[in-house]
Amino acid sequence: MMETTASTVARSPRNGLAPATAVLAGVFLSLAGFVWDVQWHTDVGPDTFFTAPHLLLYAGSAIAGLASLAVVLATTAGRRRGHPIDPTVGGRVVGVFGGAIAAPVGYLISGSGAASFLLYGLWDQWWHGLYGFDAMLASPPHVGLFLSITVTMVGAVMVFAAARRHRWGVVGTVAGTAFLVAFGVLTVAGLEALPLGAVDGVTVGVTFTCVVLVTMGGHVLDRRGGAIAVIALVAAMQAAFWWFAPWAARVYADAIGQPLREDTEGVPVIPAMIPMVLIVVGVLVEVLRRRPAWPTGAIGGAVIAASVPLQEAWVYQGGPPQVSDVLIVAAAGTVAGALAGSLGARFGEMLRVLAPKETSHA
Amino acid sequence: MRKALMALVGTIGLLLGPALPVSAAGPIPIVHTERVQAGPYGITIGFSAWPVRAMQSLDLLFTPDDGIAGKSGEITVTAPGGAGEESGALVRHPRQREVWGLDVQSLPEPGDWTLTFTVRGPAGEGVGELRHLNVLEQPGPPLALSWTIGTLPLFGLIGLIVVAWRRTRRPAAVMAAA
Repeated sequence: MMETTASTVARSPRNGLAPATAVLAGVFLSLAGFVWDVQWHTDVGPDTFFTAPHLLLYAGSAIAGLASLAVVLATTAGRRRGHPIDPTVGGRVVGVFGGAIAAPVGYLISGSGAASFLLYGLWDQWWHGLYGFDAMLASPPHVGLFLSITVTMVGAVMVFAAARRHRWGVVGTVAGTAFLVAFGVLTVAGLEALPLGAVDGVTVGVTFTCVVLVTMGGHVLDRRGGAIAVIALVAAMQAAFWWFAPWAARVYADAIGQPLREDTEGVPVIPAMIPMVLIVVGVLVEVLRRRPAWPTGAIGGAVIAASVPLQEAWVYQGGPPQVSDVLIVAAAGTVAGALAGSLGARFGEMLRVLAPKETSHA
Repeated sequence: MRKALMALVGTIGLLLGPALPVSAAGPIPIVHTERVQAGPYGITIGFSAWPVRAMQSLDLLFTPDDGIAGKSGEITVTAPGGAGEESGALVRHPRQREVWGLDVQSLPEPGDWTLTFTVRGPAGEGVGELRHLNVLEQPGPPLALSWTIGTLPLFGLIGLIVVAWRRTRRPAAVMAAA
C-alpha cells in the first residue's frame, strides 16, 4: 500500500467518503437504468415517460445531484464560518456566482451534470409528447441526457481522484472511470446522426472513448494496475448487464402485462456495444505505461475498431463484415486511438493534480 | 414521520400512476388504410396516424385478406429516392397478435417511402409494393436548433477540459520548476 506524508492531512481518512459514495452510487443507478431502458425499447417498445427504468435513471441522477448540492452548501457554510477546507473532499474549491458559493470543483461538475440532466429530462418529455416513443437513441434530448450523465460521471471521477491518497479514493477513481467506459458506448450513439460516408462514426466514437478512458485509468494512479482494474470492472459490469438487461425487460413487461416483440433477438443491447477486446488495450497501456501514449493508443484503437464489426456479427449472428469495411474503420480507429491515447495520458495527469500535493513513497 | 411517509408513498404513486396506460394493451386504433396486392395475397395496411409525419411514431398493421395463419414473409422499408432500405421478417404486432405489424415506429425523413411485402403461403410466393407513401415534414423546431441545444453539455465539457489543461502543467514541468 502506498504510504504518504501529506502536508494537508485530512481530518479523517473517511472525510468526504459518504457524499462521494452517494454520487458514485447515483451514476451507477443511472447507468443501470439506461441499460434497462434501452433494452425495454428494443424488446418491448411501448412507453410512457414514467416507467420503472426511467424512474431508476432519474433517481440515480437525483441522488448524485443532491449529494453534490449538499457538499457545495456545506463547503460554502464552512468557508463563511472560517473553517479550514479539506481539499481531498472534491478537490480545489472554486467561487461561483461572484464567490457567493464555494464549490469543490468535482462536486461542482457532478452537480452541474445532474441539474442539466433534469432540464434535458423535461425537454425529453416534451419531445416524446410531440414525436411519440420510437426508440431513437440519437435524438437531441437523448444525447443531452447522455452527455449530462457523462458530465456527472466526470465529476465523480474528479471527486475520487482528489481523494486518491485514501484507498477508497483509488477504488472510486477506478469505478468511476469504468462507469464512464460502459456509459460512453451509449453516449457516442449520437454520432450515428453524423454523415461520415464509409466510416462508421459510432465505432470510431466507441474506440476513441475506450482508449481515452483506459489510458486515463492507467495514468491517474500513482502505481501500476489502474488500466487493468478499469477494464476488469468494465468486463464484470458487461457480464452482469448481459444477464440483467433482457431479464429486467422481460420481468417488467410481464409485470405490467406487455408482450415482448415477436422478432426480439434477446441480445443485451448496451452490453453488446462494449468491445470485448478491451483487455488488450488495458494490458498494452500497463506494459507500455512509461512510453509515449499515442503509439499505444493507435494500436489499441486499431484493435478495438477492427473488433467492433466482428463482435457485432458474432453477437447478432449476422454474416461476416466486408473486409474493406473493417479495414476502413480500423484505419480511422488507429488515428482516433492515437489522439485518444495522448489525451488519456494527459487527462490522467490533470486528475492527479486535483489531489493535494504530497510526498509519495510509492 | 408518518406524514413524511405518506407523502413519499403519494409521490411514488404519482410517479408510477401514469405508467398504468402502458399496461392497457389493446387493439390499435386505425385511422387510415391502404391496399397492396402481393401476388395472390391481398393485404390491408392500417395506419394509427394519418397523414404520416417524419419522426412521429405510429403503429402499422398488415392484414392479409384471409389472415396470417400458414403464411410468412418479409417487409422492406425503402427511403425516398432509394437512399436506404431496411428489411425484417413480417411478425405479429405485439398488441394485436392476430395480424402482422410494426409497433411504435417512425420514418425519419419526409418524402415518398416505399413498403415492399414478400409473402409466402399456400398459394406460393407473392411480392407487392405500397409506393408513394408520402411522409410530411417533421413537426416541431428545426433539427439544427435541437441538436445545438442537445450538445450544449459537450461544449461545457470541452470548456472544462480546456481550462483544466491550461491550469495544469505536466509533471516534468512541475519538477523542473521545483
